[in-house]
This record gives sequence, C-alpha cells and structure tokens, in this order.
Amino acid sequence: MDFQLSDDQSVLMTALDGLAERFQSKPTEHHGFVLFNEELEQELAQGEFFDIAIVPDFGAVSAAMAVEKLARLPYAAEIALSMLVRPHLRDGALPRPFAVVENGRPGRFVANAKTLLLVEGDQVSLAHPEAGDAEAVESIYAYPMGALTKQISATPLPADEAETVRTWLRVALAAEACGLIHGAIDSTVEHISVRKQFGRPIGTFQALRHRMAECATLAGGLRWLVLKAAATGDAGDAALAAFQAQDVGTRVCYETHQMLGAMGMTLEHPLHLWTYRIKALLSDLGGRGGQADAVGRTCFEADAS
Amino acid sequence: MDFGWNAEQERFRATVRAFLKDNLPADWETQAEGPGSHKQTAFSRVFCAKLAEAGLLIPHWPKQWGGREADPWTAFILAEEMWMAGEPRGGQYMNVNWIGPTLMRYGSEAQQQRYIPPMARGEVIWCQGFSEPEAGSDLASLRTKAEKNGDTYVINGQKIWTSYAGDAETCFLLARTSPGKSGISIFLLPMDTPGIIVRQIPSVIGEGDIHEVFFDDVTLPETALLGQEGQAWEISRYSLQLERVGIPRFALASRMLHRAVGRLKQAGRFEGDAVTQAARANAACEAARLYNYSIIDQRARNLSTGPEASAARYCTVMAERAVGEFVVEHNADALAGADPMLLAHHQRAIVAGIASGAAEIQLNIIATEFLQLPREPR
Repeated sequence: MDFQLSDDQSVLMTALDGLAERFQSKPTEHHGFVLFNEELEQELAQGEFFDIAIVPDFGAVSAAMAVEKLARLPYAAEIALSMLVRPHLRDGALPRPFAVVENGRPGRFVANAKTLLLVEGDQVSLAHPEAGDAEAVESIYAYPMGALTKQISATPLPADEAETVRTWLRVALAAEACGLIHGAIDSTVEHISVRKQFGRPIGTFQALRHRMAECATLAGGLRWLVLKAAATGDAGDAALAAFQAQDVGTRVCYETHQMLGAMGMTLEHPLHLWTYRIKALLSDLGGRGGQADAVGRTCFEADAS
Repeated sequence: MDFGWNAEQERFRATVRAFLKDNLPADWETQAEGPGSHKQTAFSRVFCAKLAEAGLLIPHWPKQWGGREADPWTAFILAEEMWMAGEPRGGQYMNVNWIGPTLMRYGSEAQQQRYIPPMARGEVIWCQGFSEPEAGSDLASLRTKAEKNGDTYVINGQKIWTSYAGDAETCFLLARTSPGKSGISIFLLPMDTPGIIVRQIPSVIGEGDIHEVFFDDVTLPETALLGQEGQAWEISRYSLQLERVGIPRFALASRMLHRAVGRLKQAGRFEGDAVTQAARANAACEAARLYNYSIIDQRARNLSTGPEASAARYCTVMAERAVGEFVVEHNADALAGADPMLLAHHQRAIVAGIASGAAEIQLNIIATEFLQLPREPR
C-alpha cells in the first residue's frame, strides 16, 4: 500500500496548479449557466496533459488526479473522457474532444466533439461526426450540451472493448464528479464561514457544520475509490466509484444549495457551475441503478448463488 | 500509489489466519455471547496467552517489552483479522493498542514492571473508567473524586457504560483531584480494592458489555497515580492518538455484507432494491477501508495524521450503518435466529458511532480542523 504521490506525480500536480491558476475564479461579469473557455483545453493540449495516462511514470492514477483537480475549477472543459477513456481505446490516438451520446439524449460537448461514443445498453459504438451532424442544445446544466441532429454512421466496438470503455467511462465520471463535489463543498464552506445570521456566521451552527463535515468525509472517501479504480482498471472498482460519485453527488447538490439559500439560486454566485455539472453526471450509464447492477455483477461474484 | 499488499504483508496476514484457524473452537462463529461476556473473557485469557507465545499479541511493541517493533501496517492487519474473526482477544485489544503503550510513556518504573509484563503475556483484563452518568461526550465535566489523604487517595463516585468491568483486574480510571479540566487525574485501580461495586447493565448489544461501577471510599496508595495530578488530559490525548483510527470495523462489515448477499442469492432474492442497497453498503465499506488505510500509510511514514483520522473514523461509522441497515431490510430473519453471525455483527455494529467517543464529536473536529469552519460559540 502506498497512498502518497510519487515525485513525478508531485511535479505534475504542481504544473497543473500553475496552468489552472488563471481559471480559479468565475469572472465577476459572467452570469451564464455555463462557464466555458477553449483556452483551458488548448493549454492542456499544448502541454500534452491529455496523454498523462499513457506516460509510464504517470499512468491512469495521475490522469484521474488531474481530472479531479481540474474539475474543481469553475470552468467546464472536456478533460475526463480525453484523459481517462481515450487512452484505453484500441486506437488510443483518436481525435478529441470526445463526447458520449447515451440512448440518443443530449450530452456534454456533443456539438463540438470530434469523436463520439454512442452508448445503447451494453452496446458501445464509435463515430466521428461531420458538420451538421450535431448541434448545441440550450440547458440549465453547466456544460455546453449538444445532441445529434440525425442518425450517423458508427462502428460498434467488440464486446471486450465495449466493456473496457464502460469501465473507464465510470472512472472518468467518478473522477470528474469527485472534483466537482469538492468544488461545491469549498464554495459552500467559504459562504457559510462569512454569511452571518442571528449575529454569527451560519457555519457556527451545528445543524450545518455536521452536514458539511459529513459531505466532506463522503467526498474524501470517494476520492480514494476513484484513485483505486484508476489504479486497478477493475470493473468492480470502477462501478463502486461511479455509484458513490452519483450517490454523494446527489447529496452534495442538495446540501450545498440548501446552505447557500437564495444566494445559490443566482447566476452571480458560482455554486451552480459545480452543482449543475454534478447534476449532468447523475444519470450517466443508468444512474445509481445502473452502477448498482454493475456492482452486483462484479463485486459479489464470489458469494454463494 | 499502490493499492495492493506486499509479499511480507500477505505472509503476515496468512500467518494470522492460520493461527486463528488452529486456535478458535469449531463453533466459535456461532456462539451468541457478546465479546464482554464471562465466557468470551475467560476464553480471551487462554487465546491471548497463545497469541503471545506465537509472537502475535504485541508485534508492534518495543523490544524492551517483548515486541518486535513491527510497523503500523502489521498492527492494523492483525487488528483487521482479529476483528473479522469476532475479536477473540476480547477486551485485551485495549491493552495492546493503547493501555500498554500509554504506561510505557507515562508510567513509573514500578507501574510498568507491575502491569506491562502480564499484558504482554496476554493474561489480564483492563477496563476504562471514563464515562459517567453526567459526563459522556463532555468528559471534562466528570465528578468522580479522588481526594488526597496522607499518602493515599480516596475515590468516591460512579462510572457507567464500562465495558469488561465485570472481569477486569485493573481499571484505567479518570477522577477529579481538583476543579476544572486541568483537575482530572488518572489512577491505575485494582478492581479487587474494597469499596468497588460492579453491576452489569442488560443491553441490546449482548451480555457483559456494559456496566456501572460505584466507588465508595475506595482507598488507593498514591503510587497508583499515573503521571502527575491533573495530567489526565495530556495522557488521554496521547492514548486517543494511538486509537485515532480505532477498530477496523469496516473489515467485518464488508465480510458480513458479502455473507448477507450470499444468503439472498441462495434464496433467489438478490435483485431490485437489494442490489442497490448492497452496492451502497459496499461502496461505504470500501471508502472506509481506503480512507483508514490512507491514515495508516501516513502513520507508517511518521507523518502527522491530523483531522483526516476523524474523517476516516466517521467513514467507518457510515459503513457499519449501511451494512446494518441492509441486513435489517433484506435479511430480516438473521436477527430472529436464522444467522448468529449476522446477529452478532449487528449487535457489535450498534456501538460504532457511540463507543470511544460519539461520532458527532468527530464531525465537530472535521468541521473545525479540516474544513476550517468558524467554531461554535460556547
């Protein structure tokens, strides 16, 4: 067991911190549902950060740490699929950005994706959309959402590769949700530390302190599940991490908005930039029921049947 | 990062498992008595003596006291295996985890020579006299008094919820020598001293686990004082640090979850909500496992563990709760005679968020020290 960063990983995380510095806070004049800026993705591409997982000294754990760290920023960017799913496809150099279309419904980054993963039940197909195949969709999620405008030609992946993709989709979803959950918690802690009612910061009331502490504990446990799943690439570990990400995400969205009160309803406050990205992840791959089925199939195999 | 065990750790776990297989009675796992019962306490004296002979009771202790200075991972693997096997060490786990090491640090030479070797041989039972009827989480408000009288102390007062008190030879007792938080002292009190009355309290967690203990003019020599008068808070902080992560409850919870799922599968009932709830409990157990391991990893590197140890402990509480609720909802017959192992686990799990400090105290620590939220006014 070794839960510490290697020297290489520490250097990598410091480099990412430097890159992320410019994207740490929401511009005050921005009042939109989504905060998207191509520069973050461009800088990650220029620094070859999307290939972290295939660099021997880094690997998928480093990629998961990077995804988690960058999701704490208020900016949305297509990072998780490129860093954690793309390297595990047989052709690991497919053009990015990536996006997933699950059962035909709108998805994140679909309008601008160069590679699409079409998920229908257990089937996963690969497609490269052309101009006009997809369009942007208005939504209150804090991601640029898009949908296909027509049926497009796609190549079904063989069953084993589809299974691998589903596993890494779960790791990617969990890593991204984990960062978003931490971002939402940090934003809420900042608010309740200064917002005064009844003559004192509301963060001094035990009714809030305990709930926040429980959220932080759940988020900390989730982070270890994510990193273990990235380290092992095991279908059961990935399913557990994804289940917990959606379960904790559901809880954290409620708690953080409740503690922000009316402030959290405004687009002036950045909370929605994390929570409305979390909400967009909660239904992925069948939601908690879908992850639970995967846990049921993979984690309890050895128990009597 | 590496989430696997090394060969030495795997060998050690296998050694402990082989020892358990050879030394636990065949019907061990179906015995209904609680870990503090007379029967299990008597068994622990035989079992721990054998553990000591095999070098498996105190591997993490200093060589001076019979250990081999094994690292924190060894001690934790041992604790996991013991707890998963129903903690056949009974109350003696406290001796090896924190009472012995606390005496090594704060005890006088005479106290060390008198008390540590019998612990190292696995022969003795201790109880901890902390909680009182009016002093639970607010331990600093305790009222049991120790009044100096010449070269003796006279103890008067009452303790409650005291585990193992019925069979213990010695009590690690907190008593007040003067007013205020700095007026609390620790005494090593032989339980056969005249004036002590122990009464077992019937409980839902099993026979022999909780007692009330009355002290009526119990007279002790001043050499029974551990450290200095008023040093209890400092000493307890040291002891608590040794017990920060606490019992690896997630390990047995996880084992029982798999057992409960196995029962459902055999009955053809592992479907629908049962699968979702099992996934939730499994995720909680594995999150607790990893969070606790991350703390052990820090300890093994001599890094300060800080408030994250409280978070790890709270994760364990959530894991116990998730498994407990799963069993009650989907294996209801287990609590009505159908599965003594699931029943015994249920009874042990009840105290997860209560024993050794309420979970809410951990949440306060996490809020203040980890999240850095402003403190509650007092």
